[in-house]
Amino acid sequence: MLSLQHISKFYQVSGLKNFVLNDLSLEIDEGEFVSIMGPSGSGKSSLLNIIGMLDEPSEGYHYFAGQAVHQLKEKQRSALYKQYIGFVFQAYHLIDELTVYENIETPLIYQDFKGTERKAMVADMLDRFSIVGKKDLFPAQLSGGQQQLVGIARALIAKPKLLLADEPTGNLNSKQGEEIMELFRKLNKEDGVTIIQVTHSEKNAEYGSRIINLLDGKIESSKQL
Amino acid sequence: MIKNYIKIAWRNIWKNKIFSAINIVGLSVGMAACIVIMLFVFYEKSFDSMHSKNIYRLNEVQKFEGMNASQKVALSMFPMGPTLQAEFPEIKNFTRIRWQQKFQITYQLKKIFSPQVFFVDSTFLRMFDFKLIRGDRATALLKPHSVLLTQETAKRIFGNEDPMGKTITHYGNDTTSYAVTGILADVPKNSQLQFDGLFSFNTVFNPRMFTNWGGNWLNTYLELAPGTDIKALEKKFPAYQKKYMGPGGVKAYELFLLSLKDVHANSADIGLDYINFQKFDQKLTNLFALIALIVLVIACINFINLSTARSAERAKEVGVRKSIGAQRFQLAIQFLGETVLLSLIALIFAIVLVSIALPYINNLSQRDLSLPIMNNVGLLGLVFLAAVFIGILSGIYPAVFLSSFQPVKVLKGSVETGRNKGSLRNVLVVGQFASAIILMIATIFVIKQLRFMQMRDPGFTREQVVTVPLNMVTTAQYKVLKQELLNSSLVQGVTASQDVLGSHLDQTGIEFKLGDSPLRQLTSTLLVVDHDYLNLYKIKLAMGRNFSSEKSALSREFIINEALAKELLKDHKGKPMSSLLGQRFGFDSTGVIIGIAKDFNFNSLHYKIETLFLFNQEAWGFNNISVKINGARAKEAISFIQSVWAKQLPEIPFEYQFLDDHFAEVYRVDSQVSAVVSILAVLIIIISCLGLFGLASYSAEKRIKEIGVRKVLGASVQNIVVLLSSHFIKLVVIANVIAWPVAFYAMNKWLQGFAYRINIDWWVFATAGIISIIIAFVTVSFQSVKAATANPVKSLRSE
Repeated sequence: MLSLQHISKFYQVSGLKNFVLNDLSLEIDEGEFVSIMGPSGSGKSSLLNIIGMLDEPSEGYHYFAGQAVHQLKEKQRSALYKQYIGFVFQAYHLIDELTVYENIETPLIYQDFKGTERKAMVADMLDRFSIVGKKDLFPAQLSGGQQQLVGIARALIAKPKLLLADEPTGNLNSKQGEEIMELFRKLNKEDGVTIIQVTHSEKNAEYGSRIINLLDGKIESSKQL
Repeated sequence: MIKNYIKIAWRNIWKNKIFSAINIVGLSVGMAACIVIMLFVFYEKSFDSMHSKNIYRLNEVQKFEGMNASQKVALSMFPMGPTLQAEFPEIKNFTRIRWQQKFQITYQLKKIFSPQVFFVDSTFLRMFDFKLIRGDRATALLKPHSVLLTQETAKRIFGNEDPMGKTITHYGNDTTSYAVTGILADVPKNSQLQFDGLFSFNTVFNPRMFTNWGGNWLNTYLELAPGTDIKALEKKFPAYQKKYMGPGGVKAYELFLLSLKDVHANSADIGLDYINFQKFDQKLTNLFALIALIVLVIACINFINLSTARSAERAKEVGVRKSIGAQRFQLAIQFLGETVLLSLIALIFAIVLVSIALPYINNLSQRDLSLPIMNNVGLLGLVFLAAVFIGILSGIYPAVFLSSFQPVKVLKGSVETGRNKGSLRNVLVVGQFASAIILMIATIFVIKQLRFMQMRDPGFTREQVVTVPLNMVTTAQYKVLKQELLNSSLVQGVTASQDVLGSHLDQTGIEFKLGDSPLRQLTSTLLVVDHDYLNLYKIKLAMGRNFSSEKSALSREFIINEALAKELLKDHKGKPMSSLLGQRFGFDSTGVIIGIAKDFNFNSLHYKIETLFLFNQEAWGFNNISVKINGARAKEAISFIQSVWAKQLPEIPFEYQFLDDHFAEVYRVDSQVSAVVSILAVLIIIISCLGLFGLASYSAEKRIKEIGVRKVLGASVQNIVVLLSSHFIKLVVIANVIAWPVAFYAMNKWLQGFAYRINIDWWVFATAGIISIIIAFVTVSFQSVKAATANPVKSLRSE
């Protein structure tokens, strides 16, 4: 599904290249559940952002769903991204001015779904995550776990093939974290969603099918579970 | 999608109350100012638009021997109309207008004074499209002794009677009767010609008029063939003048044409323009429009500044939306939507503001402005579109700026959004305050000049002087009246004259001969007065003697002003002024100069003092009586005059005006300008300060952590206030530096329009500068002090 070849990401600081990712290559197949681990500054988030097309690598080749992403124009990339990828953030990043319902609905608006279609899809999602009763609340009225649930619902609403999660449980207590991880496993197994998550927790990493350890912008080890 | 945008926009507006309030208040005030000025501009443009023919007014430039400067006048001569039409085929029609003010009309027992009637040629209604309700346009004014009355006047005279065919009488020097041949619709207020009745001019024709070249006592309007080349036609006038008036006519007069539309708005430099109703210089209208636009732009700048300043708040939203699939232009449209919504809300407030303000505006402008928004769909649409446009205009930069954020960066919180774009904000704030300061300076000078004109000693006293028109009152009647009035202690003096000071006075040709030198023909302004005129008005004599009540049978006596004395001595260098006394002067060989009066401003202070002579001649009749009353008992005095009048002249209505009020009329346009400029200046200052207030609060908010750290390190409240305020004060100082030269240039130019003007004092600039800095400091301090006194523990608490 996804192939990164000789990817580098660096910042020029007073003439010196400061590498965040250094000549990294990685293949991920459809249906995998990959956990990316590593110490702070090892390049986990940068890698995830590049995979998620929120950021561009400085060098290297990036293929996604059979397309050469590094050759695509902004607009095409955005279209590809919208169709295939959902994003979950550590800090949830819900839009404070929108209700739960509207937060989940927003991606559909950007993908030009019709109003009636949107209604059905959002209702379905609310039902699936058992948050129907909270649909008219604003993010500030929810607990962290509930907010993250909404964040995931929002990421999944447009039925992405790939779910990217940047420390999804980082701000949650362990019980809430476990629930989210169970949800991920279920999504992976039952719905066949490919998941790539960045995590600090060994325990959470083990929910996945593969663990990749990063150090100084390179893959230090990769372990199939 | 649209619904979604509107919803979010509404929530954002509601959530950021200060931001929204500042913008809505600023925009609505700016829009209201623009709408009012727009209504005014439309009203001005509508002047005389009811006429369809290609009509021009004939004007003269008079260059008479003996006048200080040549002058443009609206007047023309009686024989000009017909001869011009005969000479030039492109002139299809002409009509002359001779006005009569406070015109007395009698019908049976009913007597009224009509404020203004016109004597016109029968072609008047063929050229002008004034509505005739009854009667025949083509023939109504053909016959002598015909009159057309406006509906209102007909009602005043006849009540419910049918006026058609009835006869009205005008009593006066020559009593005349007129038959009503038609009823006119009331004249629209946006017509330069205002009249209550049209009288057939041929009723009062006499043979002398037809050869009276040189007598400028009426207005002539010409209808030209469509597409006539005005410049080419004007070029042919000198030959025409030479043919009919001889070479002297070419030397003394230059004829020019002014299109009907320009008569109202483009004739500020034309004098003796008596019937040009509410004449108002287009340049001033344009100036108002420009300043109103500046008010609006300044409100838009507030929006741009505040939006970019608080961009940090929106940054996360931009990042999230982009990460869930939003494209840049979708976000830009969302932000634009918010601005447009804000702008439309402001429009609603603006319309409310305008409806509240209109009565005051109408009182100030003397116009009938109305807001026909509800029944004029076109205008409503225009205003709506303008509001949308304003929303887009002020929202476009923030939208482009905000939508450019990179999600990776803003979601990490790594960029200092809002601060890096500070330079544009600084420029805009400087621009706002520079405009505010320029207008502040302008306001001070305009008000100073106005006060100067009102307070300056004009060389005569105008306090507690009441003028009463003396239409159709004979000199004998006047004398009795005068005696009666002087019997009371309420009246301190009574005199009479042909014209009231402060109006343009008539000019006339005169002769002068000094000793053996040749006779000189020249033109000067004439004021026919009663013998005690100088006393009542406290006009000082430079030399010679005053008129006396004892008339010398042999000679006609004249008093000239210093300006005329200088003119008369032009060819006799070295001779003292006193050598003029006793010299031959006036209309014929019987005249002598008996005195020289100190110069006084018989005209408005826009003009230099022209040459003038006073002539004491009861036989010519007086048009105005001046009564100096006891100021402490003014009300009593007025009713006393009225009672004497009613007893002496029961058949003539009594009207009066304080000379002070008359001069207020003379300076009305100046006071209107001063009022408009100062109102707009205040608005600009308020809106600029609103913006500064908003910026200061955001900047304080953004630096809250820094302030907390500084306080923990021992900074005092003053330190923090200075830290937060100094930046803004710097901007205002820069604004002053820019504003001063611009204001100096503008004021210098404006003051050129006054012959008597104030100096451009440096302290006005300094005052405006200090005031602007104080206002800015106070505005900013609200936020600075709040931030500086906040508990640092709160702001430093880790999230």
